[in-house]
Amino acid sequence: MEVDGEDGRTQNQLRPLACSHNILYRAHGSASWSLRTRTLRKQTGQIDNLLKSYLMRMRPWLNGNKEALEFKFHHVWVWFRYSGLPLEEAYEMILKRTLQSICHLTINPNTTTSIIIQVINDDSALLSCAINAACVALVDAGIPTKHVAVAICCCVAKSGCKMKAFAYLAFPNSVHSVLPERSSSMQGKPIEHGIVTSVTNGIMSADNYFYSLERGRAASVRVVRVSQEELATALN
Amino acid sequence: MENKQSSSPASFVDSTVVPGDVVLDLSSMTNQTIKLGGGLRQDCDAISATKAGTLRFSKPNKYWIESSQKRYVPCVEDTILGIVVDSKADNFLIDIKGPAMGFLPVLAFEGGTRRNIPKFEVGTLLYLRVVKANFGMNPELSCTDASGKAAEFGPLKDGYMFETSTGLSRKLLSSPACPVLEALGKKLSFEIAVGLNGRVWVNAASPDTIVVVANAIMNSECLSGAQQIIMLYDLMDSLVVVLLRETKK
Repeated sequence: MEVDGEDGRTQNQLRPLACSHNILYRAHGSASWSLRTRTLRKQTGQIDNLLKSYLMRMRPWLNGNKEALEFKFHHVWVWFRYSGLPLEEAYEMILKRTLQSICHLTINPNTTTSIIIQVINDDSALLSCAINAACVALVDAGIPTKHVAVAICCCVAKSGCKMKAFAYLAFPNSVHSVLPERSSSMQGKPIEHGIVTSVTNGIMSADNYFYSLERGRAASVRVVRVSQEELATALN
Repeated sequence: MENKQSSSPASFVDSTVVPGDVVLDLSSMTNQTIKLGGGLRQDCDAISATKAGTLRFSKPNKYWIESSQKRYVPCVEDTILGIVVDSKADNFLIDIKGPAMGFLPVLAFEGGTRRNIPKFEVGTLLYLRVVKANFGMNPELSCTDASGKAAEFGPLKDGYMFETSTGLSRKLLSSPACPVLEALGKKLSFEIAVGLNGRVWVNAASPDTIVVVANAIMNSECLSGAQQIIMLYDLMDSLVVVLLRETKK
């Protein structure tokens, strides 16, 4: 989130990120993603938005010709939104669509991949944290994916701390390629300018939305670097 | 291999790639046949990575992505350790840590006929060879080598089996021997069977030796060669202390 907050960040600063993978023994892949908040004046200690995402074993399941992804979202508290849907189910649906679009689903037919997201602590920006953790867990498990999706939560605020609206945005990661620049793009734009998921809450003008998209893309470069460094250190 | 002006295909070989990276451009490599191994996928003229790992190349034309996973993808001519889950009329059902159960035909043994079908209980550990591994089908296994001889395949009795990642199994089977195994072999005597699906079986005369060997192998995954030797000497020292204490009793 990019807001003039109590933790002393300016408008264009990201919260500190931390990522680790292969933390659970039994699951095929697991990852933990945390967005830290620095000291909050009103509360003692640090509050971390920590998410663990782990993949259960792929088990043979009769599911037609496509691989299925099933989700379970465990949350510490349950709270309701004005959309009417219980929040976890809404998040599960968004996560499912996002991850289905990046997985190669036809590679292992008749198998189900179970992804379980466990929320250790929620300090907002939950969905973007969940998407990032789930993507790193998928890569850790070796499930074939088209690219890694990177999610950012971007919020629009009036001066001061009052938040008007926020948007969860997920982009594909920027890829290294041997192709010349023009052929790795779709309709004249580089691949990383595409968007995988966008979920908005609140009221914002169209200009604010496009501005959030730009800021989100710029921020996603840093997020990608964090997850790639994590994977690279494990491989070396 | 032709070199492009901006970046050559050789620049990605032996470097880390993430899913989505385009590693080869086929339009610059006409009249060549290349073989793609695991982790690579073709999209028209571009070959892109679907797994995170290191891109490897072996002459004359094989590319693959090397990475270490807990999940095993069956591949023909791999030697693996499987556990019997069920037995049917024609096949044994074997768990090989892959996406589907393996089938071991009841006749796939040296001198196997309908009269001398082996009786394996559920939970028996077997050393097997993958004969067929096709997309969408259950892999077929065998307890003989390609010429029909038993060649050490079959049930493994006693000992201790533990699970590792596929990357560690490959390191243990690599051809200049793994530093851990060499160093262990100089001091202790044990026998070991390594399955490429991430299972390792160890057997030795005394349980202490088995535990030391198993711990040494499990600890050596993330260590370099020199660190493995140091770790090993620490483990061995504690083993010597235990043995001395036992003999004093």
